[in-house]
Amino acid sequence: MTAPKRALLMTGSPKNGRSTSEALGSTLMGHLADAGIETESVRLGKVAGNEENFHGFLPSLKRADLVILSFPLYADSLPAHTTRVLEWIAAERKERPCVNPQRFAVIVNCGFPEAAQCDTALAICRCFAAETGLDWAGGLAMGAGGAVAGRPLESRGRMMKKVLQALEQAAEALARGQDIPAEAVSLMARPIMPARIYLSMGTLGFKRKAKKQGALKHFKDQPYSLAAQKAEHGQNEPTGTQ
Amino acid sequence: MAVVDTNSNPIRRETKPMKALVLNGGRKAGDGTDAVEALLLRQLEEAGCEVEAVRLRNENIGTCKGCFGCWTNTPGVCRIDDAGRSVAAEVVSSDLAVLLSPLTFGGYSFELKKVVDRLIPLISPLFMRIDGETHHRPRYRSYPRLLGIGVAKRPDPDEVRVFKTLVERNALNFHAPAHGVEVLCLTEAEAKTNEKINAQLARLRKQS
Repeated sequence: MTAPKRALLMTGSPKNGRSTSEALGSTLMGHLADAGIETESVRLGKVAGNEENFHGFLPSLKRADLVILSFPLYADSLPAHTTRVLEWIAAERKERPCVNPQRFAVIVNCGFPEAAQCDTALAICRCFAAETGLDWAGGLAMGAGGAVAGRPLESRGRMMKKVLQALEQAAEALARGQDIPAEAVSLMARPIMPARIYLSMGTLGFKRKAKKQGALKHFKDQPYSLAAQKAEHGQNEPTGTQ
Repeated sequence: MAVVDTNSNPIRRETKPMKALVLNGGRKAGDGTDAVEALLLRQLEEAGCEVEAVRLRNENIGTCKGCFGCWTNTPGVCRIDDAGRSVAAEVVSSDLAVLLSPLTFGGYSFELKKVVDRLIPLISPLFMRIDGETHHRPRYRSYPRLLGIGVAKRPDPDEVRVFKTLVERNALNFHAPAHGVEVLCLTEAEAKTNEKINAQLARLRKQS
């Protein structure tokens, strides 16, 4: 397997600012850069905006011989705008097949504590690689992504130890032109903290934010319930809550 | 077109008219989804259902920004004020939601996924455990049954397997009381396609 010369990180988070997907992806890219690989990063939110943006992004994609996609799990799959870019890439490669071999690896993080909930999204990425002629180099899945909250991994303390090890091991293998090793996959999937604590923190975080927005009393509202719809239309029925 | 025996239509036995919503994620006319939509509408209408189909490619629906505002700022309502809101409202007030899409790497097309991502306001930010896994709690008392239909010229077995898992996972996360999945081949006879759809509706009726 040939070692890559140029790597491209595609960040699939819709957020314009910092994101967990970008924190994970850029850590991996840092290791690749240390190994002497030229690196470049793009946020797919902008690329997906319109076809002109996509065509502007194509030279970066075509230059790379290692493509990394890092994204958050959205409804058991990839975010919609990321799906749009993958559809466009597939159409482009069908029309103009890429002559240079390109490898494709994925990092997916989810808000649930269980990394295994990312399995379907990883399988979709593997199918995308197969359909578009990219060489599948494997994928890393991480649970409890909310604990990163878009900050640099090193700043998140000891809980990121296994994640950092996983990314380093994955980068070492990818830099040699190899697949992401099983050990890195396993390290990445390890719980970064007890699920009970993570979920308590998550719940508290959502409630705090709602309180700040003055929306805590509406936290359990059912705005599309029949009762709520009637109330909205002046039929004087209470908004339903569970 | 095969003639559908409405007397044997499984949905017909519903005690009240069933409200069905077909979300068509086809990318363009001719990719097979519009033809399947027509078959679905015919079967559901003949069974006495109230049916609505939405061709999502014609709707102005933005993509989820991941802001969680639908949980913390305007609970239950997406902060993007476009047709995505009304589609979410229609989904939760339906008895059956059909997710129709060209098979796209084993998943949904962009057109369908943009709506699926916007259904997050329908569930709660709070957590619960289901079969040892974490999921979000329901926001509403009831949710529609879910039928996922993928359409492809030559369905790849691996993609079919992934699609079935995806619909199953979505049904779990969106608290569907029952779900079905079918991947239809564009080259197969219409009668066979009708038969498959009918069988899925029968199964959903049984599981309800």
